[in-house]
Amino acid sequence: MDLKVIDHATCTFCGCVCDDIQLHADDTRIHKAKGACVLGKAWFLNHTTERNCPAALIDGKEATVEEAIQVAADLLYEADMPLVYGMSNTTCEAQRECVAMADLLGGLLDSHTSL
Amino acid sequence: MQKSRFLPRGRKDRTMVLVDIRETKSVKAADIFLQVRPGKDFELLTILRAMIKDQPISDAEVAETGVSIEALQDLVARMKAAKFGAMFFGMGLSMTRGKHMNSAALLTLAAEMNAFTKFVAMPMRGHGNVTGADVIMRWQTGYPFGISFNRGYPRYNPGEFSTVDVLVRGDTDCVFVIGADPGATMPQPAIDHLARVPTIVLDPHVTHTSRLAKVHITTAPAGISAPGTAYRMDEIPLPLRPALKSSYPTDEEVTRRIKEAIQAKPDWMVEGPQRLETQV
Repeated sequence: MDLKVIDHATCTFCGCVCDDIQLHADDTRIHKAKGACVLGKAWFLNHTTERNCPAALIDGKEATVEEAIQVAADLLYEADMPLVYGMSNTTCEAQRECVAMADLLGGLLDSHTSL
Repeated sequence: MQKSRFLPRGRKDRTMVLVDIRETKSVKAADIFLQVRPGKDFELLTILRAMIKDQPISDAEVAETGVSIEALQDLVARMKAAKFGAMFFGMGLSMTRGKHMNSAALLTLAAEMNAFTKFVAMPMRGHGNVTGADVIMRWQTGYPFGISFNRGYPRYNPGEFSTVDVLVRGDTDCVFVIGADPGATMPQPAIDHLARVPTIVLDPHVTHTSRLAKVHITTAPAGISAPGTAYRMDEIPLPLRPALKSSYPTDEEVTRRIKEAIQAKPDWMVEGPQRLETQV
């Protein structure tokens, strides 16, 4: 079986963010993470492209992403003091959107740093 | 370990000093281990600040820290003799007695060491791109975390606007959680409030927080199947090279769409956002 090789892959499991990892992957999972530590190997090898989770949940019931986005926007808009929190295991591009959203809402903005 | 022009023997040219309240597994990797008495970090750091400037310190003060004066004198000599010193600190320092005053003491020590040699201090980060969050918030608002926009402009006050405090006091009435699982890590009173208010979670998995949330949206895991940028602990931005494709949307896309849905509604400020009429 031919595996796709990705050189200089970046691991975002911990704060070290190693960027010298070689990944060997097929269409559904990563089979080898050369140069990764124990934590990094577990991080890369335990993800698959299978849909194990529902697209979205509202009150624990399955829903479409579009519905969930609308409910989320309504809840955040109606709140007096919304809080935008987390932003650790995500990209800088998503973080930028989070800041813009907190600004728009006139709410609170905080990350793991304060924990 | 890396060999370099200035450190040709690699690890042998480096000295690692570990300071902890107990002997951990890291002791084996360290050259010197100093066991500080729990809750005496601030005292130890203040004594070191005095010693590098040859100021007088009493034996009783040193005894209180649990570290011997000989060990401290040796450490000060090594710090001053170093070409480039780096201090790494974690939550054991910043979350125990003294809290941010401990971090402040350590940063002051690092600053004052620069009178003798190059010295830096860096917080040890746990999760993937938490440094990126600091950098992005600093870039966009001027502050790194604990920010409030409720006057229409950013204000910074950890303790007032930081999440655990806000949740424990019950100040917030809706929480948007992205790339975090506070339901698994935060103190119980904070988790209780998360369950009390409508919570929205964006995560690649159904997490503890998702189970007590009103809305959960599954997103593609960053770095595995979502592209983007992540900051390393020393604030170097690195591109992510996802190996897999995901049928889930990215965090960026979902957050942007929620933002756009909010943008379509009338502004929350009755008089509209505060803007300068003319650029001065």
